[in-house]
Amino acid sequence: MSARSVKFILLFLAQAALWNYCNFTPYLMIALLPTMLLCLPVERSTITVMVIAFVTGIAVDFLVTGQLGLTSFALVPGAVFRRRMIRIVFGQELFARGENLSFRRQGWQKVFWAIVLQNALFLLLYIWVDDAGTRTFGYDALKFFLSLVVSSFVGLLVASLMLDESA
Amino acid sequence: MSREQHTTNLFVCAAIFILMEVAALALLHATSTLQMVWLDRASHRTMAFLWGSGETLRSHFQLERLNQDLQAENAALQELLRAYEGLDIEQEELRRMAARVSQTYRYTPATVVKMSRNQTHNYIIINKGSDDGIRPQSGIISDRGVVGVIQSVDRHYAYGLTLMNPSMSVGARIGGTAIVAPLSWDGRSTGRALLRNLPPHYDIAPGDTVRTSGFSSIFPPDVPIGVTGGSHLVDGSTREVEVLLFQDFATVRYVTVVENLARSEWMALEAAGEEEL
Repeated sequence: MSARSVKFILLFLAQAALWNYCNFTPYLMIALLPTMLLCLPVERSTITVMVIAFVTGIAVDFLVTGQLGLTSFALVPGAVFRRRMIRIVFGQELFARGENLSFRRQGWQKVFWAIVLQNALFLLLYIWVDDAGTRTFGYDALKFFLSLVVSSFVGLLVASLMLDESA
Repeated sequence: MSREQHTTNLFVCAAIFILMEVAALALLHATSTLQMVWLDRASHRTMAFLWGSGETLRSHFQLERLNQDLQAENAALQELLRAYEGLDIEQEELRRMAARVSQTYRYTPATVVKMSRNQTHNYIIINKGSDDGIRPQSGIISDRGVVGVIQSVDRHYAYGLTLMNPSMSVGARIGGTAIVAPLSWDGRSTGRALLRNLPPHYDIAPGDTVRTSGFSSIFPPDVPIGVTGGSHLVDGSTREVEVLLFQDFATVRYVTVVENLARSEWMALEAAGEEEL
C-alpha cells in the first residue's frame, strides 16, 4: 500500500472523527473529503475517482450520521468535475507535462482556489440535501459560507499532507 | 485519445455518475426519514409538473373537440333548464287552481304568451286552448283582479281582449254597497278605468274597493278590480267615477281563465224570456 493511500485512509478517519466528536456550532461543517479527492493523482481517471468518492462517502456516512448516501451524493459531482476544474485553475500544461498538483510548482494561491471550488460544490449539495426544506435560506447560507471558509483553510493543511510526496 | 473514444468515455462517465447519484439518493431515501419525505415531495412535484405539462399540451391539441363537447353540453343544459322552467309554470298554475275551487265556475290556470299594452284595442294570448277546456266568453283574472275576456279559442291557445280595451265592459260594484255600474277603460292610462252611468245623486267616497258584481255571465262576484278615485258629473245627468286598477298590466304573467258552467243555461233562459216577450 502506497504512502498516499495510507494518508488517504488516515485523513478519512480524521474526517469521521471530526464529524463525530467536534461539533463546534451547527453553522460549521469542516469538510476534508473534497480536498482529499482533489489531491489524488491527476492521471487517475474520472471513473476511478468517482468510485473512490462514492465508496468513501458511503463509508463516512456509515461511521458518522447513518444517513447513507448523503456524503456520496455531494461528493461524486466533485469527482466528475475534478479534471475540468484542474484544467480551468491550473491550465492544460499540467496534463501535458503529466504532473500532479504541487504547492511549489503551481503556487499555493491556485491550489487554494481549486480547494475552494471543490469545497463549494460539495458544501452546496450537502447542505441543500441535509436541509431537506426544513431550515431557512439564511441559515443555510451562513452555514455554507462559514463552512466554506474554514474548510478551505483546513483544506490547505490537508493538501500539504497529501501533496507532500508528489511535490 | 480519438474523438470517438472521448465521446464514449463521456457517455460512460455520465451514465456512471447518474447511476451513483441515484444510488446515493435511494440509500438516503431508505435510511433517513426526513430526506425520504423531502425526496418524495420533490418526486411528486416533478411528476405533477411533467404530467401537468403533458396534459396541457394534449388539451391544446384537443381544444376543438373540447369546444364541440362544451357546445353540446351547453345545449343539453339549456334544454334541461327550459324543462325546469316549464315545471315551475305548471306548479304555479296548479297552485292557482287549488286555490280556487267552485262548483259554478271552473278555473283553468294559464300563462300569458303574448300581450299588447300600447294599442287602442289591446289583446292577450294565453297558452291554453280548447283542448284544455277553454271556451269563448270566459273571464280572465289574476290574483290582482280582472284582466280580460276570452274572444276566440284555438286548440292550444286562446285569444282575448284585455280590460285596456274601449269595447270591453265589466259589471262592477262599489264596496259593500248595492251600487252597480259598468266599468270600462278610460282609453288613456294603463292603470285607470271609469265607472260610468251612475246616478248623479250617489256620493262616492274615494278609496272604496271596486269588485265584480257577479251579475254578468262571465265573471264570478267579488273579484277585486281597483279602488275608487275622484268622481264628476257628465252632462249633469250621470256621474263618472275614476277607478285605480289593482292589476298592473305590465307585469301579468300568470292568469286564470274563469268559465261560468251555468252560462249556457243562463243564455237559454234569457233567450226563452225574450221570446215570450
